[in-house]
Amino acid sequence: MTISRRDFLKASAAAAAFAAAGAPLLNPLASGEAEAAEAGIKWGKAPCRFCGTGCGVLVGVKNNRIVATKGDPSAPVNRGLNCIKGYFLSKILYGRDRLTKPLIRKGDRMVEASWDEAMSLIAGKFRESIDKNGPDSVAIYGSGQWTVFEGYAASKLFKGGIGTNNVEPNARLCMASAVTGFMTTFASDEPMGCYDDLDLGDTYFLWGANMAECHPVLFSRLIDNRLRNPNVKIIDFGTRRTRTSQMADQYVRFNPQTDLALLNGIAHVILRDRLYDETFIKRHVVFKRGKENIGYGLEDKFKFADEPKLINFDEYREFLKTYTPEYVSRLSGVPAKTIVELAHLYADRKRKVNSLWTMGFNQHTRGTWVNNLVYNVHLLTGKICRPGENPMSLTGQPSACGTAREVGTFTHRLPADMVVMNPEHRAKAEKIWGIAPGKIPAKPTYNATEMFRALDRGDIKVVWIQVTNPFQSLPNLNRYRKGARKGDGRFVIVSDIYPTRSTELADVILPSAGWVEKEGVYGNAERRTQQWFKLVDPPGEARNDLWQTMELARRLGHGSLFPYKYVEKEIWEEYRKFNEGQGKDLAPYEAYAKARGLRWPVINGKETLWRYAEGHDPYVKKGEGVSFYKNKADHYRAVIWARPYEPPAESPDRQYPFWLCTGRVLEHWHTGTMTGRVPELKRAYPSAVCEMHPEDARKLGIKHLQKVKISSRRGSIILPVDLNGRGKAEKGNIFVAFFDEGKLINDLCIDAYCPISGEPDYKKCAVKIEKA
Amino acid sequence: MPVSGVLISCAEGAAPDVSRKIADIGGVEVHGVIQDNRIVAVVEGETVDDEVARVTELQHLEGVLSVSLAYHNFEDDEP
Ligand code: SF4
Repeated sequence: MTISRRDFLKASAAAAAFAAAGAPLLNPLASGEAEAAEAGIKWGKAPCRFCGTGCGVLVGVKNNRIVATKGDPSAPVNRGLNCIKGYFLSKILYGRDRLTKPLIRKGDRMVEASWDEAMSLIAGKFRESIDKNGPDSVAIYGSGQWTVFEGYAASKLFKGGIGTNNVEPNARLCMASAVTGFMTTFASDEPMGCYDDLDLGDTYFLWGANMAECHPVLFSRLIDNRLRNPNVKIIDFGTRRTRTSQMADQYVRFNPQTDLALLNGIAHVILRDRLYDETFIKRHVVFKRGKENIGYGLEDKFKFADEPKLINFDEYREFLKTYTPEYVSRLSGVPAKTIVELAHLYADRKRKVNSLWTMGFNQHTRGTWVNNLVYNVHLLTGKICRPGENPMSLTGQPSACGTAREVGTFTHRLPADMVVMNPEHRAKAEKIWGIAPGKIPAKPTYNATEMFRALDRGDIKVVWIQVTNPFQSLPNLNRYRKGARKGDGRFVIVSDIYPTRSTELADVILPSAGWVEKEGVYGNAERRTQQWFKLVDPPGEARNDLWQTMELARRLGHGSLFPYKYVEKEIWEEYRKFNEGQGKDLAPYEAYAKARGLRWPVINGKETLWRYAEGHDPYVKKGEGVSFYKNKADHYRAVIWARPYEPPAESPDRQYPFWLCTGRVLEHWHTGTMTGRVPELKRAYPSAVCEMHPEDARKLGIKHLQKVKISSRRGSIILPVDLNGRGKAEKGNIFVAFFDEGKLINDLCIDAYCPISGEPDYKKCAVKIEKA
Repeated sequence: MPVSGVLISCAEGAAPDVSRKIADIGGVEVHGVIQDNRIVAVVEGETVDDEVARVTELQHLEGVLSVSLAYHNFEDDEP
């Protein structure tokens, strides 16, 4: 019997899985056989298109089409394995409804147009609005799905060319509190540690992070660590029981918002029981206290400026006095005994302790504070900047770090942690960009929520949305969807690869190239910068967003900002100048073409695994041990912040008695525009459901899968109740995923945000539930 | 017909049991059990959608912690 090509393919598939499992000896293929079965496939590397984990993928191309993918065995992040969202990589570019031609609104219809027509219409609208209403009447809104080049070009054109700071990313809705947390504590964005800590540590506190579903590859690393080392403990702090809770060693349920109190309670016990690392504190820490009762950003044009004051250790101790285990227990619902035990676990000198979090902390009206508070615990115990023990902020979008944060596509930011408010920073950017001094405006304008409020009010007239879907993902969505279509000179441009809930509100839709249809660079959550080349052509007339932005620049007379031949490489080399010598050094472009990503700072070709740590980070001098060298103002020390518990913007009451929390599920990513195209997947998690506690359902007389009407003060939605899902709501709480474009749960969410970060809280608002 | 190679992580000791249960899911072949807690399997389907449906089923089996994708070939999957 001859072995068919299909058998070889199956054997190749099994061989790849054996190799990834570290059991290549079980590989059934003789050498050369896999190659024969895959004849004609050309392989190229790329980071996964989906989440901020940044797994490496090998992409197989034949006849200008992707025909195969592999978890990249050489990628240190995922070592040959992708999560099941990897199946969608076969599909994201090939949905039947792919946008392939520019479309221009004619009344209720979208009519096909040429690029020239579309771009001259867009340029005309920009020019008209800038002439009539000034540069702050136009805006660009992108995301952490922008490549570094796309984000860089957008920022350079808007800040450096048009002269407006109206640049914001979806990352404002997702990572902004992590940024302000890092900036206020360490004066430099992004983690000190890296994914290696998942393999090297033995104690992991997960704070409201459903890693098993949202960062499955990283969670597998944790679970593998625990299989190797029975000492490993995973503690899941949550307001909802998830797949992660099932696999954790301990699940600690707490009341929404009381993470603030819990972290202060843990710090209280660490001080009370003298569990802190006195030497570390003396050498590396200062204490500060800022403004309190800081509001919720609910009013348009809300403004806030913190006023930090230095305090001493005793004043900090005094501040923590109220946070006794008993008091915190009353607030949080966590037994006082557990709080004491967990504080001791955090401080156990024999243990290597890590904290991990993502949207639970960031999407929080005190998001900056809660980020500060988790750093406090690590700084008090000295469990930071060491291999295997670090606080680690995870990300949702593939280049939330690489683009939104590092390039600085926020209204107030410039590349490499610089800000528009600082004259030296502006001058440096103006010099690198070769523009007239004084061109970059000194004042930030709007955070994401405020940007769409401004569109609603008519202060912004023209907005260009690239690689994201705000008219599904904003909170209090109703207002902003209506605002976009109020007319009166408002003009909305959306670039995307598929029709979305945002393209339906657009005046012009531009068809974009996606993922490996263009060359790109993404940066993941562990500071790893990953490059890929274009592997296939985009369909029809679809074009790279980078080209689109530069084309607008050319038509507005700012073409000289982009004088490049090999655009990507030259942008990279220009961008690199911002980072040099700033503790954020990047390697030359060619290095990334070869490597499976490099973690910055990259000095003399060598990446840095642990920042601020002697022997790992070349910026730290011999004998310093640890140096928070970016925080010059505080003598190179990190800041422990006295930040109190404050209640959320809205809590359940008699009229709206339930907490609503929104989030993600394993099979879908973000607003589902890429993953929602897989019909079977939609069946697995067909459309959004309302997770509810069975006891609450019984009280209301509601049965499994019965439809209910959920209402908040802002909107309502009808959904079936799921009493039996993989996530289990706690009593008094419901959970709804936000991927479903047919069910806009964000209509109900409150647009309250953290006054420091500007990030809205999608995790807490009050709703009522009635039978539908 | 698309083909994929997956690695199924199981609770300690559960792999032999899970691998027996997998035999009942059409389109999934067990190729090996590693140390009682991991299974290498090959998934086939008429379409990628079929494959994903099968993997979702795998994910819901008692004893399965997670399913990861190592290799996916969909050369013959028509758009
Ligand atoms: S964990 Fe994230 S980056 Fe990795 S394969 Fe899954 S979706 Fe892609």
